[in-house]
Amino acid sequence: MSARSRHITAVLARHALAGTWHAHLGLAPAPRRRAAFAHEWLLAFTELGPAFIKLGQLISVRSEEFSRELVDEMQGLQDSVPPLPVADIRRVIGRAFGRAPEQLFATFDDTPIASASIAQVHGATLAADVRPVWGETLPAGGEVVVKVIRPGAAEAILADLAEARRLLARVKRLGLLARVDLARLLDEFEASVRRELDLRIEAHIADRFAFDFREDEKVEVPRIVWARTVREVLTMERIVGWRLTDLAEADRAGIDAKALAIYGATAFMRQVMVYGRFHADLHPANLFVTPRNTIAYLDFGIVGHLTAEEMEDVAQVLAALVYRDADRALRYSERLGVHVPPEKVPVVKRELGELLDSVLGPSGPRSFRHFGVGFLQLLRRNDLEIPTGYGLLVKSLATVEGCARSLYPDIDIIDTARPFVTRLLSNAMGRPDRLEERIPAAVRAALRELVE
Amino acid sequence: MPTDDVMRFFALWMLTHEAADEGLKAAVERGASATAEGMSGGPDAFVDGLAAMVAEEKERLKAELAAGAVRQPDRDEERLALDELRFEVASLRGRIDEVAGMLETVVAKLDAAGTARG
Repeated sequence: MSARSRHITAVLARHALAGTWHAHLGLAPAPRRRAAFAHEWLLAFTELGPAFIKLGQLISVRSEEFSRELVDEMQGLQDSVPPLPVADIRRVIGRAFGRAPEQLFATFDDTPIASASIAQVHGATLAADVRPVWGETLPAGGEVVVKVIRPGAAEAILADLAEARRLLARVKRLGLLARVDLARLLDEFEASVRRELDLRIEAHIADRFAFDFREDEKVEVPRIVWARTVREVLTMERIVGWRLTDLAEADRAGIDAKALAIYGATAFMRQVMVYGRFHADLHPANLFVTPRNTIAYLDFGIVGHLTAEEMEDVAQVLAALVYRDADRALRYSERLGVHVPPEKVPVVKRELGELLDSVLGPSGPRSFRHFGVGFLQLLRRNDLEIPTGYGLLVKSLATVEGCARSLYPDIDIIDTARPFVTRLLSNAMGRPDRLEERIPAAVRAALRELVE
Repeated sequence: MPTDDVMRFFALWMLTHEAADEGLKAAVERGASATAEGMSGGPDAFVDGLAAMVAEEKERLKAELAAGAVRQPDRDEERLALDELRFEVASLRGRIDEVAGMLETVVAKLDAAGTARG
């Protein structure tokens, strides 16, 4: 057993013991017991560093597999680490471009703007005009940010991942955690980390988002400086604004928070149901409100994709939530991979109807997050498998609701979604292929209604 | 029904129209009141919501007609396809910028190696 492996085991064991203690040696009621352990896992993951922080962030979007308490705790994980000496960062830039930062930019700031487990970010200014893939030219002297992969980050994370796999094998031999497919989770984690380690992927996604929102003056996406972008270094426009956690100043500057909250929520729905590409790592640090009264999306490390059919199915599910239609919700969830055996349909439909009324009805909390948690619990209670990706979508809807509420706490997300989704489905209704498919049935139904 | 009775035929037509109109107005009313009070929910709620939004659109259209400024439909398919093509070309330009940057790097490294040898 390596020193690192012993350290990981010791930290996990220490926090497991603390969890047992806080859960009154396991005698506390189940929710309290789960909450106590979830908090200890959060502390353990924070202590164990970058790989575990990233793993925790992945768990935070897997509400279909982990308890609500654990998912909630992991959502509080902040990917922030002490900065590396600038000489290390300069060395990476020098290796990537064969030149010092001063030869690549007009100015380069040695003090980092941010430092996370995979990358560190520095400010710089452009030496010459840059024509981005989409949008207006970035002028010489314009501010940019230079995101640099931390040297050794990949090796450290992948080594910890290998340790985690070995530990997992041991845990499996003991017959623990049988319900959760941790091997698949680690595979997904590795794929996600490898994607994040190639910053060109993020740059391409940012370009695509800028194009998707090209006619939208309320949404900003940083423009990419491709001549200063390689696998380990990403240079992009610096957008200045207020994070959603720091809105007091924005409020003083006269930002219309309510309008932006509604707009931001609708813009996200457009990503999911119109473009089929959505920012799946939205949290207050990745979303800015700017002095121009716009919303700026940052950091496109995790992005979800949907096919045309999935987009329509998601729109139908959303319409079902907004209009509290259990039949429609079940029918289209099935198309998204939630298979309910015929013998369970009546009970699931009844429970779903009750959930819709209690959560999304006039006197309920009217929250996608509450609904998502309730729906996933309902599926689990009825032993129904939850398809991969469904949890990410539920989490994304819940997050966008959370971000909108950060801007404007009294926002009614159902009222916000209703006109959007109604318009979207009515547009789909008028498509020639849809008309050809549905008109005969509609005429038959109308005639049946008349003669009955 | 005596179809040769023209008056009766038009009366029936008018009655059908009136019943449909009342049904539609009731749906619009239900859909419009949903925002403030919350709707009953279920399969018909979507139809009510849609009816309310169509009624709002009708009012907008009336206002545009009265002002003589009818809004043109949004972008057509051809323009969208052209935009997609523009984006693909622009992405290629971005790729060329990246490759040009890589060439500059190679040149800089060769220069540095030459200086070191010299």
